[in-house]
Amino acid sequence: MTPALMNPTLIKSGDHVIIRMPSNNAKIVCIKENTTISLGKFGSFKANELIGTTFGHTYEIERGGSIKPHKQSSFDNADITEANNREINDDPNSQKLSFEEIEKLKIQSLSGDVSAQDIINSLTENNESFAKKTEFSKSKYIKRKQRKFMKSFLPLETTVYNLCDYFFTVNPSKIRGIRIDTLSQMLSLANVYSSARVLAVDDGQGLVIASLLSRISNDGMVFGVHDGDVHNYDILRYTNFSVDTKDQLQTLSWSKLYHKMEPFTEVLAEDASEQDKTGRERRLRGHTKLSNTLDNLNRGNFDALVISTNYNAKSVVERLIPYLGGSRMLVVYDQSKETLVELFAWLRESPSFVNVQMTESWLREYQVLPSRTHPLMNTSGGGGFLVSAIYLAPTQETTASSTANNDVSAQQESSN
Amino acid sequence: MFHEYKDIIENGDTVIVYLSHNSMAPITVTKGQVYNNKFGSFSHDQMIGLKYGSKLTTKEGRGFVYLLHPTPALWTQVVPHRTQILYLPDISFVSAHLDLRPGKVMIESGTGSGSFSHSIARTIAPTGHLYTFEYHELRAETARKEFKDHKLSDIITVEHRDVIANGFGRFNVADAVFLDLPAPWEAVAAAKDALRKDTIGRICCFSPCIEQVQRTALALDENGFSDIRMYECLAKDYEVRKVPCPNIEEAIGGLKADFKPIKNDKKRKLDSTTDNGDNNTESCNINVTKPVDLVRGHTSYLTFAILAPEQESNAMLE
Repeated sequence: MTPALMNPTLIKSGDHVIIRMPSNNAKIVCIKENTTISLGKFGSFKANELIGTTFGHTYEIERGGSIKPHKQSSFDNADITEANNREINDDPNSQKLSFEEIEKLKIQSLSGDVSAQDIINSLTENNESFAKKTEFSKSKYIKRKQRKFMKSFLPLETTVYNLCDYFFTVNPSKIRGIRIDTLSQMLSLANVYSSARVLAVDDGQGLVIASLLSRISNDGMVFGVHDGDVHNYDILRYTNFSVDTKDQLQTLSWSKLYHKMEPFTEVLAEDASEQDKTGRERRLRGHTKLSNTLDNLNRGNFDALVISTNYNAKSVVERLIPYLGGSRMLVVYDQSKETLVELFAWLRESPSFVNVQMTESWLREYQVLPSRTHPLMNTSGGGGFLVSAIYLAPTQETTASSTANNDVSAQQESSN
Repeated sequence: MFHEYKDIIENGDTVIVYLSHNSMAPITVTKGQVYNNKFGSFSHDQMIGLKYGSKLTTKEGRGFVYLLHPTPALWTQVVPHRTQILYLPDISFVSAHLDLRPGKVMIESGTGSGSFSHSIARTIAPTGHLYTFEYHELRAETARKEFKDHKLSDIITVEHRDVIANGFGRFNVADAVFLDLPAPWEAVAAAKDALRKDTIGRICCFSPCIEQVQRTALALDENGFSDIRMYECLAKDYEVRKVPCPNIEEAIGGLKADFKPIKNDKKRKLDSTTDNGDNNTESCNINVTKPVDLVRGHTSYLTFAILAPEQESNAMLE
């Protein structure tokens, strides 16, 4: 049997794409038809050149903003040699090109008259200490210059992985400091699957919501509870999710959690204006939507409860746990464990939960090069903490004997 | 079972019997059978019709267990080890990096104990597919039976095959490949054949030793893979305890404080008449966290790379 393959992801006009530059810095750009995308000192290219292509290629920017796939091995054959740094002194004069000459090369490079490789060649040729360097050190020097002068870029799809990585680097507070390894563990622990109904609180601008949406399909849904009148899931707009996927999201303000629906009774006056009519229709739509949303929430029996909140975690769990199904997972994220300790102690003491765990994920990236494999010098200090637990079936006091205790139902009442 | 929840336990279901976080057992509920543990006997017939997450007490009333719904994460904790298995931090990170989600087609080799396979199947179901390859015949057979019992046969195809000698026998089909083999570099070319050429392909090689990583990375580079990145991912467990932390004034005043940690173990006892009469100064108790004493310090290195689509680059190079 051959499974149906998913369609390749093609870049469409209006899509967001993460552009990784030679410096390893990244930026999110919106690829709009007939525009020019500027990457600062790394040049600029025409958006149309990317539209209709898929991901995976690194491109080099050519004269006039056209681009061409560019394959560059990250490996070199540098090997251990006799050379060492005994003869190399820290001398600013070892570079024989003047500041002005280098600046001129850079300008010529931006206009496409001089290739990045040419600049790097003149820099190494005119550097007196270059020849004395070890092969490793030469390779490192060239790589450093490539990071500065190459006019190439790698377009990356705005997958959950890439978005998390991007925001964790440029603006961690936006996503409440959640690192991708931690986020991925939330998805595993919460057991998110295609037809799951997931109840979620995400005060980190929607990255957690986006990650949940990415793991469900048409039969599943994500229910987000937020403060304020409208949600602030800003990150969703970068995801390029189809409209279908966004329809799987329902949201409700905390202030409406216990809202009692009244029948819609607004009646139009006989001489109602067009404006009155559309106003009534709008209010009717809002009424119906809120009513559907509340019905869905009150059906309860959600398949997972996933929380990343600025509010007291225990208070949030207490309010939402009645909506979770039995033998389903509760997963709570926070940047610091102090805010989770109270929740943990409460879960541990409650007879409604088992397998209560607190974990911190640890991630380390390595440079892999022949004879030069080691962890990166700089790494993130932390990616946040998770508390997870299995919620037990609240209703059924099941025993083979009659010595049932009723602390489960008592617990249930106290949390209502 | 593993890629969707149900509410009521039925005959034939897999149930995770939970005693404590380090004592769980998977059972297949079968009419007429009895499950025994240190608390006593539990008949399967009693389980049928109960809600998942229910508490079941022994006839003798000596103790109880919880009947949990299986999940890939729980399965990882109870799977019969036929090989070294993947754990949750690696499983999660690899799944995210390979962008697994419903509809993706994936290749895994070897199948091993099937710990990762369950997770992959859960994530790519119902429209995706996992081809998993195992060169050990008995392990392949056991895994095939297990996937069938877990109602995953529609999503997982197990093949008994030596992929290093014979390749995957599948071409241009996979969105992602995961290699957990002693010599993954020898399977990189076959992985390239198996990956789709019309869209980005992603690969992850899982190796415990750094020497393996170096050879794998070279093979990936030689075979045209790019953006080669290598990571290590682990999770540290914390315990939370309530400890007394009295002010030194007590000692100056001649009192001897009791530093015994406050026990909170009443959950397992049936008669939970709360006696939180912790005699000493309740107010100076604080909740503290501490990493557990022994943690997993290394599992494997995760080497990732991407494969650029083919046709497109040819078209663009013209």
